[in-house]
Amino acid sequence: MPGGIRVEYQEELDRLEASALGGLDLVTAAVSRTLEAIEHQDVELAQIVVADDDRIDGRYLEVHQALITLLATQSPVATDLRLISALLHVLKNVERMGDQCVNICKMIPLTGNEPPADQEMVKLILSMGSQSKTLISQAKRAFEGRDIELAQDLVRQDDVVDNLNRECFRLALEIGDDADKREWAMTMLLGARAIERIADNAVDIGEQVAFVVTGLFREFEDASHPSA
Amino acid sequence: MGAAGATRAETEVDKTEMSNAATTGTQPAPESVRAAQGRPAKTLEARGVNLFYGDFHAVEDVTMTVAPNKVTALIGSSGCGKTTFLRSLNRMHELNASARVEGEISLDGQDIYGPKVDPVQVRRLVGMVFQSPNPFPTMSIYDNVAAGLNLNAGRVKKSEKDAIVERSLRGAHLWNEVKDRLDKPGSSLSGGQQQRLCIARAIAVEPEVLLMDEPCSALDPVATLAIEDLIGELKSKFTIAIVTHNMQQASRASDITAFFNLEETGKPGRLVEIGPTEKIFTSPSQQATEDYVSGRFG
Repeated sequence: MPGGIRVEYQEELDRLEASALGGLDLVTAAVSRTLEAIEHQDVELAQIVVADDDRIDGRYLEVHQALITLLATQSPVATDLRLISALLHVLKNVERMGDQCVNICKMIPLTGNEPPADQEMVKLILSMGSQSKTLISQAKRAFEGRDIELAQDLVRQDDVVDNLNRECFRLALEIGDDADKREWAMTMLLGARAIERIADNAVDIGEQVAFVVTGLFREFEDASHPSA
Repeated sequence: MGAAGATRAETEVDKTEMSNAATTGTQPAPESVRAAQGRPAKTLEARGVNLFYGDFHAVEDVTMTVAPNKVTALIGSSGCGKTTFLRSLNRMHELNASARVEGEISLDGQDIYGPKVDPVQVRRLVGMVFQSPNPFPTMSIYDNVAAGLNLNAGRVKKSEKDAIVERSLRGAHLWNEVKDRLDKPGSSLSGGQQQRLCIARAIAVEPEVLLMDEPCSALDPVATLAIEDLIGELKSKFTIAIVTHNMQQASRASDITAFFNLEETGKPGRLVEIGPTEKIFTSPSQQATEDYVSGRFG
């Protein structure tokens, strides 16, 4: 089809897609720092992550407003409309993932300067985080390439995170009688849970990829009606 | 609806057409009372319709249904044949001397191009509202609405006529604005009011189908929304097909959307896709439809 009509609108939409998906890069950086802060009990780095979340929130506000303006002024329909709807979801996911990093980083100082850390559990949490980063970048590539198969594969990747999370839980149960150590383990479980949610958000982005391509929304996995 | 249809100023279809309608006198008087709430309307079906102006093949092989009690929007860029197709649905296409119709168009199963069918009767059953409001300028508001009755139904008692005029004006959302000046000329109304007057005139003869050719293109946004609301209400009684260039209007006002397109200038227009309006505007199945509704061409 001739590409001469509505060029600026198309460029703006492309720019906003890149900007919304770029939010995932900000999240990846936040997750990396969060993991580093956990690994080294780095309270300062944790505070930086908390403060830096403003950048993610700013991205959300800026792109969200621009998408609303496109809706109001350009009357997008069909694929454009689905894309804008999906980008609004993705932005929300980005914002939520950023907040989960903040949640974790706010807990880090609570465990004290030299916490009674269980290295096995720390290792599990770092693996969860690293796997979550894989999901985030895969979700981004799936969206950019409108690749349903790659998006669908996020479910398999997410299972890895879920299994690690269960393993963390098991370790926490068996952590022993020491009260400080148990408190530390409880806190770390909340962190693991936050990372698990980050991975879920990446799967949600995959579902939006399928929506953009097919026009049908369906959950890849329905937590309230899990298949056997 | 011989009245609004046959007297279109632009085409100078004239009063002889209408007097034919009067003299045929075969139509029963409209029921004085129709069910106030909804009534089943009739289905218009086109099968393998090809339309020509002389040698020019304007519309090729259109098969589609205009569903009863629904609003069907015909969209597509200029020259794609949507208006020509609309005009074939009440045999107005043939008012052009060189025009020709092939294929079958039926109203509830009855071929409207059948050899014994009177085109004037077809136009009473399938009414038309035009792009620019065309009330009879010197006729009173009352007489404008009653025009079709006078021509179509033979003698109608004054009291009955009063009731039909009032009901039609109410049906067209115009009654409250004009009830105290029914004797004023139709041209004294605003553009939006004139268009509603034309709709009142069209529905006064109780057609089965209302065809509307860009009914809002000459109106301001408020008058446009008033007509769209009206269309939404009229579908409880009529089958409605509307040609519009305004994509937002199609998405707001119609239940079903049909997209017409032509491959290139000089080629005939074709029906590309027809489906629920929601589907056409969120996930159409054809790329050409997608490009058109997204404003990428046309």
